[in-house]
Amino acid sequence: MDGHRQLVNLENIMKSFNQNAVLKGVSLEINESEVISIIGGNGAGKSTLMKILTGVYKPDSGTIRIGGEIVESYNPHVAHVKGIYLVPQEPVLFPNMTIEQNLGIGHPGKLKKSELRAKAKQLMEQLEWNLDLNRMASSLSIAEQQQVEIIKGLLRDVKVLILDEPTSSLTFAETEKLFRIIEKLKANGVGIFYITHRLDEVFQISTHAVILRDGKVTLKGDIREFTKDMLIQGLLPIDSEKKGKFSFVKRRVNRVKEEPVLQVRGLSGDGFRDISFDVYRGEVVGLAGLVGAGRTEIAEAIYGITKPYSGQVLLNGKDITRLSVRETIDQGLAYIPEDRFLNGIFSITSITNNVTAQIIRNDRFFLNRKLERTVTDEYVSKLRIKIVDQEDEIRSLSGGNQQKVVISRILATKPQLIIMDEPTRGIDAAARSDIYNIIGQLRDEGYSILLISSDLEEIELICDRIYAIYRGRCNVCLEADEIDVTNVMKAAFGTYEGV
Amino acid sequence: MSRMSQISVSVFHFLRKHREFRTFGFLIALFVIVGIFNASYLTPDNMENSVRSSVVYIIMATGMTFVLLTGNIDISVGGVLGLSAAVSATIVRNGGSIVTAFVAVIVIGLIIGLLNGLGVSVLKIQSFILTLGMNEVLRVVQVIFQGGRNVEGLPTSFQRITQHEILGVSTLSIVVILLVIGIHLFLSMNRKGRYFAAIGDKEEGAVLAGIPVKRYKIYAFMMSSVCAAIAGLIFASRIGNNIPTTAGLGYEMTVIAACVLGGVSLAGGVGSVLGATIGAIFMTSISSALVFLKVDAFWKDVISGSLLILIVVFDMLLIHRNNQKAKKQRLNARVLEIRKEM
Repeated sequence: MDGHRQLVNLENIMKSFNQNAVLKGVSLEINESEVISIIGGNGAGKSTLMKILTGVYKPDSGTIRIGGEIVESYNPHVAHVKGIYLVPQEPVLFPNMTIEQNLGIGHPGKLKKSELRAKAKQLMEQLEWNLDLNRMASSLSIAEQQQVEIIKGLLRDVKVLILDEPTSSLTFAETEKLFRIIEKLKANGVGIFYITHRLDEVFQISTHAVILRDGKVTLKGDIREFTKDMLIQGLLPIDSEKKGKFSFVKRRVNRVKEEPVLQVRGLSGDGFRDISFDVYRGEVVGLAGLVGAGRTEIAEAIYGITKPYSGQVLLNGKDITRLSVRETIDQGLAYIPEDRFLNGIFSITSITNNVTAQIIRNDRFFLNRKLERTVTDEYVSKLRIKIVDQEDEIRSLSGGNQQKVVISRILATKPQLIIMDEPTRGIDAAARSDIYNIIGQLRDEGYSILLISSDLEEIELICDRIYAIYRGRCNVCLEADEIDVTNVMKAAFGTYEGV
Repeated sequence: MSRMSQISVSVFHFLRKHREFRTFGFLIALFVIVGIFNASYLTPDNMENSVRSSVVYIIMATGMTFVLLTGNIDISVGGVLGLSAAVSATIVRNGGSIVTAFVAVIVIGLIIGLLNGLGVSVLKIQSFILTLGMNEVLRVVQVIFQGGRNVEGLPTSFQRITQHEILGVSTLSIVVILLVIGIHLFLSMNRKGRYFAAIGDKEEGAVLAGIPVKRYKIYAFMMSSVCAAIAGLIFASRIGNNIPTTAGLGYEMTVIAACVLGGVSLAGGVGSVLGATIGAIFMTSISSALVFLKVDAFWKDVISGSLLILIVVFDMLLIHRNNQKAKKQRLNARVLEIRKEM
């Protein structure tokens, strides 16, 4: 715009992985001296788009123009030669090399060692970062690694710099210095794509904003025309058809009369700080937030997989903090992990064995086959699991039915509280509403459920109350009448300020 | 206590950075201990002999290091050695020149290396399984090639390439050591040479840095096979006559052990050909040391095996510790620090 030359133009880019369309026709362009913030929820396609721009992935269709020319064969090396560089979100340094070697490797120009050192030193001075170039990358902290990644990008004479959540591990002061560098680059004509979840930063440094949702650009334009609320609106889904006709009556627990089943008091650990919340009997409580906000880490600390630094977990008034997994199960806690294929099922054994895997130890020396069959029968009919024979391998079942088997196994231990981590990720719509029905059924039978989900619509739909976790902290509790998609979205992005 | 832990930490870091020294230390310790019992072990003659008798292993370990650096493994080197020993010996017996034999084994090495490399990088087959299968196939090809008999009737001229000496030192040893130093400099100083270690260190990062990962993996396997093929020729020349169908049986394990002893990590990304060479010398030195100590030869495997376990356990603990530390930092970096109001 405004006479600045166009650097990159992406037109109608499409990309699918295993029939799962991630990008559904995205067009995007960047000119000199623009800082374009790219905002989107988890799975919106931001990373895929940027990997296409840097030649890591090949688009299924669409054209990439760099400096006005269409590029045919594209790969990361060509991208570097053309001056496009990605600073990844999670540092991918070579741990067994020194910082200097890391900075130099794959550098497209024929830079001499001494020149590289001098240039790196000069950049570090500007940024007021102090790194010994001879240190091994494995000895660096995460923030330092991120600094090296950023210097690596700045060292190359970039025309387009992509920063993927660069501030996620920088302190406030470090962030300010990075912004100054961005301003300088901008003045020199560099185009910058800035991926972030932090809406404050968007307004602070970008000239334009682009919102990506579900593989499409939903909002794009000059930052001066936008407000925070408009950005949130752009992130919201237009319709909720994919959830089917399922409806859920939210329940309000009388919290004066009843005792909470689970009480978490000031729990701190790796990835979360000072978390407090309650779950009452017969209640579905949601932990909302973005991927990486620290929700799984909280669940693992409650369940006993990791040990928290401080704080307390009470189950029915009994202190279960720092107990082992075996002991928390005995106390009545159950946990259904995030990836049922990786962590949840024993895929090559029978359905029966899967259902009874956690209760068989209550038996004598030999397994009680009869009991196993009875228990399995009970849950197969209760949860309407579609099976041919109990002895079939569990992997012969569909994803939704596998999830039901996992839930059966948990119920067989007679838990007080069930923690479900992303129960519907990667399963189809029909199985999804089945799972929602099961959750409703369990709630009505008096089980308490703590639901972790990144699907904001899902969490809005089936939770009686929602706690939002934002960057390891729990600041917001949404009561039944406050729950709607906008509020949940705001809370997950850390901008909810109450009614 | 803090003093002690400080010293142990700095020793720890030194060994981490200079893994070759660890093996060099083992090697010196071996010579000193055996020297105490039998002073003739410490003669220059015997030391020269140690290097001379490990040349085959040194060449193979050098090639293997390329593959290990990329985070893969090559089990087929024993088979390559056997086949190229048989082929080169047959060519020489049938009146071919040594140069022809040399070209033939190089071609064998290139083809097998290319097949292994394509399988691992393009078809994404686990290198362990693929090269294990390749090894079995090559063994059978060798038996068929030899018709089940030893290759006999070799001219004495064939032995000369390994027997030539300059001032009483094996010419071959000198050439090999110089080549190893050259390759060491290439892998550690050259920008393209560093690509091999980069791939094994962090493949995702290598892709982002624009390194042609697939191509370099293929190069690594080709390097390994060609080295094993050349080692096969030298092996045949050294035996001189009656090349058995079992030539090179089990060599792959000795070579991999030599690399690991020499500080090359099986996880990829770490190690040097210099280290692998010292490892190879160490492996053969144990054998000769036991002769000097008049101990039964089977103890050799106990010693090298125990050291191997020690080293691998040490490395795993190191990796585990680093992973735990990194995960903790990554999680805590995300937490919103509430700044105190001014």
